[in-house]
Amino acid sequence: MLPLFHWIQNTSWATSFRQADLLFPLVEGSHILALSLSVGLILMLDLRLLGIAFRTEPVSRIMSQVMPWALPGFAIVFLTGLLLFLAQAEKVYTNSYFRVKVLTLILLGLNAVFYQYRYYPHMGEWDKAETAPAGPRVVAIVSLLLWMAVIVCGRLTAYEL
Amino acid sequence: MSLQRLWQMSYDSPTVDILRNSHYAIPVIQGFHLLGITLLLSSVVILNLRLLRLGLTGIRLQVIARQVWSWGTAGLILAAVSGFFVFLPDPARYAANTSFIVKMIVLPSAILFQYTVYRRAVQAEAAAQSGERRLILPLLSLCLWFGVGWAGRAIAFLG
Repeated sequence: MLPLFHWIQNTSWATSFRQADLLFPLVEGSHILALSLSVGLILMLDLRLLGIAFRTEPVSRIMSQVMPWALPGFAIVFLTGLLLFLAQAEKVYTNSYFRVKVLTLILLGLNAVFYQYRYYPHMGEWDKAETAPAGPRVVAIVSLLLWMAVIVCGRLTAYEL
Repeated sequence: MSLQRLWQMSYDSPTVDILRNSHYAIPVIQGFHLLGITLLLSSVVILNLRLLRLGLTGIRLQVIARQVWSWGTAGLILAAVSGFFVFLPDPARYAANTSFIVKMIVLPSAILFQYTVYRRAVQAEAAAQSGERRLILPLLSLCLWFGVGWAGRAIAFLG
């Protein structure tokens, strides 16, 4: 992988993007500030599953209300993140915080898929309960903790570049 | 005691010295600063999307306001406390940074607006349940808080 990332980082567009006075900070700032739209809205769902917030609303309603904005939010974070990665591919690839971050993101993806297959089909049974059953609650706690780890690792990645 | 001397004393103190010379202290504190910002801005985004009627319209404003206001405040406190500890080891650098000065003007403005005019308007709107789209108030709130965020990002890039 390293030769590939070495090549990407040294392409002319990656070099000019990396050294751009305004574009690079704008993309990086968007990456960070769009966390409020993506992770911030997922927070609503996690806290609802745990019975900490929005207890009077059915889980299905929170999910359907949150997703139309959370998904574009994740798209912005992912695309800006991809650009930031490509601009510094070789340096980022060898960064250990970045590796932990990617691993954590993969776990988050698996966590979401697990919820979707294991618990989502039975949501009707506890949709209106103030607190979700133990299984979905564990998924919510894992989601909260891992997202926190992703954000901190992301900040640390930038420090080591 | 002048403010200058206070900063000098803090700069010379052994505790701040540890903070300054540790390889991990500031990056980790910055990580928590970012967690606080995410929490705060998510609360701002959620409430304003609802006021603008662009999203979350299936949940009553009163319910949203009650829930996200407290976590917005928690995020603000976390961001402010962690931000102070990023500032402390190197006050002279930040005092000379135009973006930082802009941030320190926009931030108190945002807090003042959010906890007075804005808060009262949200409470009135939640009680009235008029269902009308609010425009000026949510846009101003978004501009102020994201303005703080962008000014913060500019500290490292523009100076």
